[in-house]
Amino acid sequence: MSDSERTDFGFERVAWAEKAKRVGSVFTSVAGKYDVMNDLMSFGVHRLWKHFTLSLTGLKLGQRALDVAGGTGDLALGLLRQVGPQGRVILSDINPSMLALGRDRLLDSGFVGNAACLVADAERLPFDDNSFDCLTIGFGLRNVTDKVAALHSMYRVLKPGGQLLVLEFSTPVAPGLKSLYDAYSFHVLPALGRFIAQDSASYRYLAESIRTHPNQETLLDMIRVAGFGETRYHNLSGGIVAVHRGYKI
Amino acid sequence: MRPTPAWLAAVETLLNRGIHASGQASEFARRLDATALRIDIEGLISIRASVYGTRLALIAAEPSGNPAGPEPDAIISGPPLALLRLAGIGAAARHHAPAARTTVRGDAEIANRYRELFAAARPDLEEELSHGVGDLAARRLSLLTKHTVAWVRKMRRTAGENIAEYLQEESRDLVNRTELEEFLTRVDTARETADRIGARLAHLEQRLKGST
Repeated sequence: MSDSERTDFGFERVAWAEKAKRVGSVFTSVAGKYDVMNDLMSFGVHRLWKHFTLSLTGLKLGQRALDVAGGTGDLALGLLRQVGPQGRVILSDINPSMLALGRDRLLDSGFVGNAACLVADAERLPFDDNSFDCLTIGFGLRNVTDKVAALHSMYRVLKPGGQLLVLEFSTPVAPGLKSLYDAYSFHVLPALGRFIAQDSASYRYLAESIRTHPNQETLLDMIRVAGFGETRYHNLSGGIVAVHRGYKI
Repeated sequence: MRPTPAWLAAVETLLNRGIHASGQASEFARRLDATALRIDIEGLISIRASVYGTRLALIAAEPSGNPAGPEPDAIISGPPLALLRLAGIGAAARHHAPAARTTVRGDAEIANRYRELFAAARPDLEEELSHGVGDLAARRLSLLTKHTVAWVRKMRRTAGENIAEYLQEESRDLVNRTELEEFLTRVDTARETADRIGARLAHLEQRLKGST
């Protein structure tokens, strides 16, 4: 098999078709402890990153939003509050186990009628063209096999003038942070995964997949190439995480 | 391309909220649809402001231009205080800012429309506070801030007057305005007298030359 037919799964190179299966098994394994682990791993800071992302949507009451790879629904909940009862938010994820948790969370938070959950592949979003005013993907793009296809698919379903927000781990830029961050990622995270989720391999994959994910500039170029305009990114926590933005113009 | 700081995103969010809340600002934004302005704040940052529909986007740009985006219609550059004064924002607009240089290149009309947009979309701080702490607390905080700012201004003015009075009337290190004006008038009189004497002497010299 040629290298062009392979893609990254952490530091491994696997066949394109195999990546989706292996990512699926990672998230099925960690789904039950996903939120607890997020809080532990980031010391709760992931809530601030998501809050910042939500502050950028520019959504108004009655509009429509899609949260791709939304998992347990953190961003979708914020989007639902922004669009109100007259608006509509769709939470999609390729993994049914994660989506089931997200659906329960939306229902438990009292969102019925204007929220929908859908198992969907980010590379082939099953929506009409020009359907959404805003599209978010939080810590999901890293796990998508064909990121270019996913970005094109997201561009297609956005309305003209609509905004894409990509919240994702990125490359630390603050001086001295990288070595500290590497030590934390490759030693503390798998240990936390072993003790809390009884699954160190999945959290090793998390650390590895962050390193193989495109850096800020590369991802920005990919978003531009997919057709988005007025693109930019904001580094958060010294570049550990970045929010990339682009409009369908 | 440099990252856009998070504070700029917050400013953009506030201004967009202001645009949606104000009919006048929305109209200004509509007139600027598909235009762009680059603001070079000397020593700080270059910002590319653009409008699509009624949505304003603020993006950090390279001072030499953003090669990834289209050329801006206009470029404004200058020191921060001068730009604030130009935009009609804050204390810099109410008082004389230090002599400063702002330059406008490109379409000056577009630059002026952006200035109008920023002024019209200026956020209401009390309203913004009320989202976080509630109406009552926001009102109290707003009043407290206003009173504090007024007190600081009054204190600064009074302190300035007291120091000036001490230096002019007690220590006599400085002259007061009346004395200064009197002195300048005398200087003017002395200069005029000297000019007259000079002219008279020149005239006498002419006459002496004519008689010999």
